[in-house]
Amino acid sequence: MITRLAIALTVVAASGAPLIAHHSFAAQYDATKAIRLEGTLTKVEWTNPHTYFYLDVKDESGKVETWGCEGGAPGALSRRGFKRGDLKIGDTIVVDGYRAKDGSRLIDARRVTLADGRIVSGASSGDGGPQ
Amino acid sequence: MSAGTLRAGRVAFVIAACTLCSATVFAQGLSVDDFTSTRPTPRTASGKPDFSGYWKGTRQTRPGGNIGKDLPGWKLPLTPAGEAALTHNLTATVDPEALCIIGGIPRHNASGLPFEILQGANKIAFMYWYSYFRLIPIDSNRKHSDDPDPSFFGEELGRWDGDTLVIDSVGFKGEKVWIDENANPHSDALHVVERWTRPDADHIHVNTLIEDPKFYTRAFTYSRTWVLGKPDEELQEYSCSENNVNRDHLGFGPGPIRPDGTRGYVDPAPLPPPIPRAPAGK
Repeated sequence: MITRLAIALTVVAASGAPLIAHHSFAAQYDATKAIRLEGTLTKVEWTNPHTYFYLDVKDESGKVETWGCEGGAPGALSRRGFKRGDLKIGDTIVVDGYRAKDGSRLIDARRVTLADGRIVSGASSGDGGPQ
Repeated sequence: MSAGTLRAGRVAFVIAACTLCSATVFAQGLSVDDFTSTRPTPRTASGKPDFSGYWKGTRQTRPGGNIGKDLPGWKLPLTPAGEAALTHNLTATVDPEALCIIGGIPRHNASGLPFEILQGANKIAFMYWYSYFRLIPIDSNRKHSDDPDPSFFGEELGRWDGDTLVIDSVGFKGEKVWIDENANPHSDALHVVERWTRPDADHIHVNTLIEDPKFYTRAFTYSRTWVLGKPDEELQEYSCSENNVNRDHLGFGPGPIRPDGTRGYVDPAPLPPPIPRAPAGK
């Protein structure tokens, strides 16, 4: 599922956003399991206490699996310039984050590369997660 | 809370909203680390400090989310029962706040979340993200009930001590509660005395006395300062239970606690490097 490597450029940090920590990053996610997902956007839930968006991702064998990506609350994301309209069903996007401890196909979406190439932070700020 | 109290609360909100407007219209807005203010404490018609405003934490509150912040090594004076309760919280409970259970006091005072205050003549409302609120009567003649129904914020009574607003609270729940983000415990014997001051227009401060003879060998304190938000900052709708997918994926406890007293991993694996953006026009 890590489908391509890339050269470092910039990361949009979550600076300035209010601290909206609904749960501890470390209670749900494994910081040793960084992952990159690239896939087709199939569903967006722009909801509280977290946003969720879902990707169909091909693994190395070509099998398509659906992954959930947890982002910060809508208010936190929109204040840093990540808007609901930035995600369109059918888009190909790249999400970098960390896998859930329980082994499910759910990741914490710390960094999102949108279809237009913009990089935005999807992180829940104030959750103790990697910044 | 009775329906009558709720109705009274709504009236108080409306009245206090006018006060809030007057208090924030002239606010300049500070950065979270700016402790300089030359503007005087706003006051109500009765001459008491007006705490109304949208209040944000600062980076000076370290470690954030830890009720032992002001203790050496952040070491809480736990009794054996308190130690057992902490172990239980760490190994057998999911963070109540993540399950959309009210965090209560003193946890909300240790939270990174901003909050908003609306103050009326005889009541003060603290409103929190997650759409929770506590509505506190300010009346020095009121006494605690003999057997208050346990609640997450407790039975809260406000009174003035000069320019200090004192909130004395008992009657807390002893289950489904963490006293802070690190899963430290409190029991139903918790007694909290908050002393709130507004030394100037741009800051409020609390000094909190925490007593819990079941879980702590002695009383301890927690102090903190918040800065006034910018005029366009205010609470927004935040429905905790709208889509709480994570509740089925959370483990027990807060996860690892770092040496600096905050929750989280010390040395997380790096993310894959960012993808370079194609130059415009290509």
